[in-house]
Amino acid sequence: MAHTQDKSSALSQGVIIFVYLAVLTIIEYFVALTFDATGLLIVIAIIKAALVMYYYMHVYKLNSDEGADNRNSYAYKAATDRLGLWLFLLSDTFVFAGLMVSRMNLLGLTRPHLNQALGLFVTAVLLVSSFFMNRGETAMKFGDVKGFMKNTAVTFVLGLAFLLGVVFVEWRMAAAEGLTASFGNPATGPVGGVFYLMTGMHAFHVLTGLIFLAVVWNNARKGIYTAEKHWGVEAATVYWHFVDLVWIFFYPALYLIGKVVQ
Amino acid sequence: MKNINPVWRGLISLIVFGALGYGVGFGISVLVNGAAKTSPAGPIPSVFALFFGFAAFFFGVIGYRGVTRGLTWQVIGTLVGAFVVVGIRAAMGLSAFDGKGFFLPEGAWVFGGLVGAISFMFGVGVLSDWVKWARGIETPEEHPQDESGWKKFFSVSLDHKVIGIQYVVTALLLISIGGLFALIFRTELAASQLQFLTEGLNIFSQNGLQLFNTLISLHGMIMIVSILLGIAGITNYVIPLLIGAQDMAFPRLNAFSFWIAVPAVVLLLSSLVLGGFDTGWTGYPPLSTLAPVGMQMFFLGVFVAGWSSILGAINLITTVVRMRAKGMTAWRMPILIWSSIAASLITLTATQFIGLSFQMVMFQRLFGMGFYDAAKGGNPILFQHLFWFYSHPVVYVFVLPGLGIISELLPVFSRKPLFGYRWVAMSSLGIAMVGYIVWAHHMFASGMNEYLRIPFMYSTLLVSVPTGVKFFSWVATMWRGKISTPTPMLFVLGAIMVFFIGGLTGPMNATVSTDLFLHDTYVIVGHFHDTIFGGFVFPFFAALYYWFPKATGRRMNETLGKIHFYLMTPSFFVLTFGMMYAGFLGMRRRIADYDPELHLDGIHLVTTIAGYLVAISVIVFIFNFFYSIKHGEKAEGNVWNSRSPEWQVPSPMPVHNYDKSFEVIGEPYDYGSGDNGYVKFIDEPASNAH
Repeated sequence: MAHTQDKSSALSQGVIIFVYLAVLTIIEYFVALTFDATGLLIVIAIIKAALVMYYYMHVYKLNSDEGADNRNSYAYKAATDRLGLWLFLLSDTFVFAGLMVSRMNLLGLTRPHLNQALGLFVTAVLLVSSFFMNRGETAMKFGDVKGFMKNTAVTFVLGLAFLLGVVFVEWRMAAAEGLTASFGNPATGPVGGVFYLMTGMHAFHVLTGLIFLAVVWNNARKGIYTAEKHWGVEAATVYWHFVDLVWIFFYPALYLIGKVVQ
Repeated sequence: MKNINPVWRGLISLIVFGALGYGVGFGISVLVNGAAKTSPAGPIPSVFALFFGFAAFFFGVIGYRGVTRGLTWQVIGTLVGAFVVVGIRAAMGLSAFDGKGFFLPEGAWVFGGLVGAISFMFGVGVLSDWVKWARGIETPEEHPQDESGWKKFFSVSLDHKVIGIQYVVTALLLISIGGLFALIFRTELAASQLQFLTEGLNIFSQNGLQLFNTLISLHGMIMIVSILLGIAGITNYVIPLLIGAQDMAFPRLNAFSFWIAVPAVVLLLSSLVLGGFDTGWTGYPPLSTLAPVGMQMFFLGVFVAGWSSILGAINLITTVVRMRAKGMTAWRMPILIWSSIAASLITLTATQFIGLSFQMVMFQRLFGMGFYDAAKGGNPILFQHLFWFYSHPVVYVFVLPGLGIISELLPVFSRKPLFGYRWVAMSSLGIAMVGYIVWAHHMFASGMNEYLRIPFMYSTLLVSVPTGVKFFSWVATMWRGKISTPTPMLFVLGAIMVFFIGGLTGPMNATVSTDLFLHDTYVIVGHFHDTIFGGFVFPFFAALYYWFPKATGRRMNETLGKIHFYLMTPSFFVLTFGMMYAGFLGMRRRIADYDPELHLDGIHLVTTIAGYLVAISVIVFIFNFFYSIKHGEKAEGNVWNSRSPEWQVPSPMPVHNYDKSFEVIGEPYDYGSGDNGYVKFIDEPASNAH
């Protein structure tokens, strides 16, 4: 079982999952470049999401009965918090699902004209950040606070790079391509609106995730977390992977599926 | 000032500071628009009077803390947020102030409103523990001691019972405001032609017709928010007691859920004075993209109120899943919990869709993103799909807890087991699940693809199956029972009757062929008032009468309760039958005037009088409610002779609920079976809250 392993096997599991995710992303990218296969892209996205949910977000922990014998124990309360967090994520999923529905309704099987290399780059940045986040959490699970702080710092920098990349590079380039929010050009239609709203809502979640990471990093520095008691770290980790999970679907929805409209 | 009654103190300072705020707003208005263009009933003086008056009222009552500090911070936050936008606009070379008499540009009002709502939360003090946690400071496991007496209800408390009462009282306040709005426009409708909401009127820069539209729209949304808060109040108070928990799973989140509703209500009400809006509570574009800035405040208010329900739902589900007493297996939970869980699942997920749909209109208005602008390739029908994906299921959020209350109380007063417990439990989940796939029955006349009509018609008719299960269970529970009829039971019976009419008038609206004729008529209005009164208002009153002794140790006055019931029920039937009658004869919804040739004056007059009678009965209730807190007959034991755990200990409930935890040893509703009861108290301290 995944949760009774030693540190090195936990870390190497993280590496293997990262390699899977990276390979799937590259396949996704080349599939989209070479032929029109929306169904295949959806399947790949679902596989990626399942890998992240199981191996990075540890969704199976919801089912554990840790601390069931003592309801005042830290483990029992952390499990209660975990359920609350996942319910929140379920609720949040519906925001993104609603955006996806709107995107399919308004754009159908077309997509905006965007810089493919940049899209792949920011996706890779976010994926790598998830990898380091997983290393950080694993370190904390074995009581290695230094290792946690180092890996979380890397995650934070990568997350910040993603955020700045989307807001200051991607949005600017999209605007230069004629994808404006206020429509001087009626031909663009709601395409710009959908693009900015989807990326903007995701970027807002990245921002909150970064704040969350900064908070747990600072608390780790103060020595609050131990191998047994680090619910805050787990929550920040799960939230960060959730942000990545959303992008797993948004990336193909905005960059890969359908035909380009001008 | 100390020895004056706090309510008088509040009213005096409301008048003084409200007038002061009005003066300030008037001055600003004259400065910005010039004396000639300033109307005494213009939006800016009113908005200042509203904000100042609100904050000052609570200042008079409790001084500068709790809700007063929250509202003060909200005013400051709103101004700060607004002027940030004004500054940015000025820096970008755009016009910094609004030329249409609203002082600030639309973006400034929206951003200011959002910042104001968040500032309220900091000001009231809900966030202080979380801020401490974020800085790595531990807070004590025990809840801080609340103040004694009534003052604790005006500040942040982490006790679920205090929060429950805060919710209920806020809901009653909102019912009064929404009801007042209804009386105003109902009076206008009493006769054909325009009597007092005329085009010559000018209040809050709206003429009488625009004001009529604003009032009907706000009546809808204020009542919806009041229902959400009322349900949250009952479930918050009762459910931890039913499952034997000391508190909800997340007490701070619980307090947050309640307090965020307060700035939301302020935002909603501010839409009345900021030009109003004329779309009805549904806010359909393209009309909502053209309405004044009040539309934005309405969207923002609903958006913020949505956080309240979503977070409340998370808390409720987690509490029930994680904190039930020993032996309380799924099939031994009180039935109210089943229905609340079903309702919470809807709230948790679907609420995001109304938030998103409103947000998209807000962005369309602010940034020109043409989601719903057909001229730019957008799709207005998309709004309706997103909107109704929440707004239909939310009807089940309103009624499911109410139906749970009916099923919960009926066995107590019939002295018989609840008939078909498992079926009733499953029917709640069934209604919730079917509720997700029926939304487009609101859109039969919208111009959506015609092939969608038939599947949505059938899925809608399917709702009657699980609902029918509940009716069979209620009738069979009463069958040959030893029925007694104190006030709570009267309201339960009333609820069943009213909801029955609401249910029976449903299928004709669900069927495409008839709905195309009935769409947007008063038939619909009568139908949904029946379902909401039967599913929420009557059970809500029943629950208040029933659990009032648990909260206060006193009973509400029976005579006044009976007056309330016997006045409200027949008047209400006249009201909704009158609405449906007028609707069948061609009366359209959402219009201030109608053709005298329709000969509807008589029925409208009767309906209006019935409406006033309902209002009087609610006033009787509110008087009874506050009167009985101090002067009601003492009732500290098991007043209703119930099996439920909360009645096995003396009332009122102490701060940390049960001293000893209990174990479930029987079925919840086996009245008259002669077993050892539902729960047994064991010598073990109850498990801690979190």
